Amino acid sequence: MTRVNTVLGTISAHELGFVAIHEHIGYGMPGSELDSRWWKTPEERYDETVPKLRQFHENAKPWGAATFVDATGICNGRDVDYYKSLSAKTEVHIVASTGFVGGDTALPFFERASVEYLTDQFVHEIDVGIGTSGAKAGIIKVGVSRGFKMKELDKRIYRAAARASKVTGAPIFTHLAVDCEPALAIFAEEGLPCHRVLFGHADDGVSQGRINEQAILAAGGRIGFDTFGYDLELPDPPFWGRPRQERLDHLLRYLQGGLVDQVLVSADANCSPLGWPGVKGHTVNYLFEQLIPDLHGAGIDDATIDRIFAQLAAEFLTLQPISAQ
Amino acid sequence: MCLKHSRGAAEPVPPFTSLFLDRPADREATVGTVNTVLGAVEASQLGVTLLSEALMYVLPGAEYAFDIRIDRAEVFDRLAARLAEFKAAGGGTIVDATGMFQGRDLRLYEALSRATGVHIVATSGQGPENMLGGYFLTPQTNPPTPWPAQKFAEMFGREVNEGMVVPRLERRAPAGMICTAVSLEGMTATDGSLVRGAARAGATYGVPVFIRCGSDALAELQLAIEESMRPDRVVIAGLDRRDAVAKGWPLAVAQAGACVGIDHVGSTDPFYVSDAERVALVLDLIGAGHADRIVLSSSATGVAFGEPGNDLPFATVLTTFVPMLEQAGVSRDLIDQILITNPARLLSVGGEA
Ligand SMILES: [Zn+2]
Repeated sequence: MTRVNTVLGTISAHELGFVAIHEHIGYGMPGSELDSRWWKTPEERYDETVPKLRQFHENAKPWGAATFVDATGICNGRDVDYYKSLSAKTEVHIVASTGFVGGDTALPFFERASVEYLTDQFVHEIDVGIGTSGAKAGIIKVGVSRGFKMKELDKRIYRAAARASKVTGAPIFTHLAVDCEPALAIFAEEGLPCHRVLFGHADDGVSQGRINEQAILAAGGRIGFDTFGYDLELPDPPFWGRPRQERLDHLLRYLQGGLVDQVLVSADANCSPLGWPGVKGHTVNYLFEQLIPDLHGAGIDDATIDRIFAQLAAEFLTLQPISAQ
Repeated sequence: MCLKHSRGAAEPVPPFTSLFLDRPADREATVGTVNTVLGAVEASQLGVTLLSEALMYVLPGAEYAFDIRIDRAEVFDRLAARLAEFKAAGGGTIVDATGMFQGRDLRLYEALSRATGVHIVATSGQGPENMLGGYFLTPQTNPPTPWPAQKFAEMFGREVNEGMVVPRLERRAPAGMICTAVSLEGMTATDGSLVRGAARAGATYGVPVFIRCGSDALAELQLAIEESMRPDRVVIAGLDRRDAVAKGWPLAVAQAGACVGIDHVGSTDPFYVSDAERVALVLDLIGAGHADRIVLSSSATGVAFGEPGNDLPFATVLTTFVPMLEQAGVSRDLIDQILITNPARLLSVGGEA
């Protein structure tokens, strides 16, 4: 039996269909909720979000279903009751995350917390539920604070995530793949096999030259090509953008080099950003509208595309507790 | 204007800052009225006012903790009981000095004020740096430059000029005061931006600025004055800290024309002086001619989540400290000045009660 936690309940991995492994319904740095320049009415939020999810559902029909993994984490505007309503009305499976985007998005209460407390927080959100929503998290978010170097709090969160992953079987995905050595050391110390970890944003523009891809691959980790669509060709690209062809070539080197099983792919788009302008025109549907045609154009076959977006993602999301020796 | 009480403080430069912030809104709140959660109230109606209390205190992030449940009905009952006790002891107004990011719940405070008849003033501002969300410290820009004073001034100023925020939803009543704090270990660059931003907004929109001092109260006050904030519109709080008293900050702050926040009445934490020492401090300030610069409060936490609160009733100042002051020979008139007149003057928008 396979089990995956979605916001509307635990489902079989066979039901997931096409998986976008790192996306956001809406992301905002903690505190952005105080700045009214970003506010939108609930009408505007649904209006910006529902059509994108409905289109995602349509686009994913050949795979049977659409699954949207929300990478927002605690303190960044994660709103699980809202996700539940979106999922119920659009039929898109939404997987919510526990954990934090990075130490610099963990508010003082969590900044002061021990590894043990953070572990309990993550385990509770996966096994019991998030707040009073009743929805269980399906994946654990961790990340590197700004500055390309893991801070002490980042490491504490990684360690707690490793422990929670072993107990609950939920996978981990990271914000940034830079400075991976301390992360790999923590996972080794905690006895978490690295195929349970997706080292995210390995494809973004600002991280290039700062990622030890060989170390991640050697440890069995998964490489996240999960900022597809943040192209420098956009009229107003974000600072982490990258030339489209360069990112595609980067992925193709993996696919053509026999490393398909160690990559996962997503767009990291916001349906309706919470504390920043977002990037106009960039949605999860880039995967269908731009990337898959680009992959076809480069000679990548449908079996490989299915393997990345359906089989590998489903295998990754399936809860796999690791019993203590 | 009102520098007649100040000794040794530099005359502040004219308030040029208003050029960079929105114009003050034409609202019913005029000189002599106070911004409460239920709207403008005549300053003369406040009665005994405690300037530094916490109704609901939430350590930022605690609202997401898996093992913390905030039962609003229970919180309401507990706070209502504490406010009723304060009123029965002769209290009139509570200022929730937690600022905008440590549990402020405007709808709850409005209902509490209606139910108990106690005036509640809610505050804008935040700080010190380690209490801020990442939005202000590591923004999504390259490089992630922390917010400068002007952006804090705009955000705090709008809370006075347009109303305080219910995050992502709406604005409600205007803020009555702006609170910030400086790190105890010393002022960080962002602490400095917070103090400057608070002062810039306070000077433009006429509300007092309340600064929980860090490692150098006078330097922190100076920052506010440099932003055109009249010293008599500034409260330097935490001056009943043992180290603050030892360094002579209370008298120095009063001499500079600012208000002296003796705001841990009833606390038995050794970080602060005892109530007996507080009485001596009040007598010293009165003796030096600064009765009009003394502010008393107890920093009681009505309810606290995420870290232990204290169990002090809001009535502490009235029930335990006032008798001690009387015993020490402080006249009823002076006590009224400290508990009624001083906070009313401070909270009056524009500053003249
Ligand atoms: Zn993301």
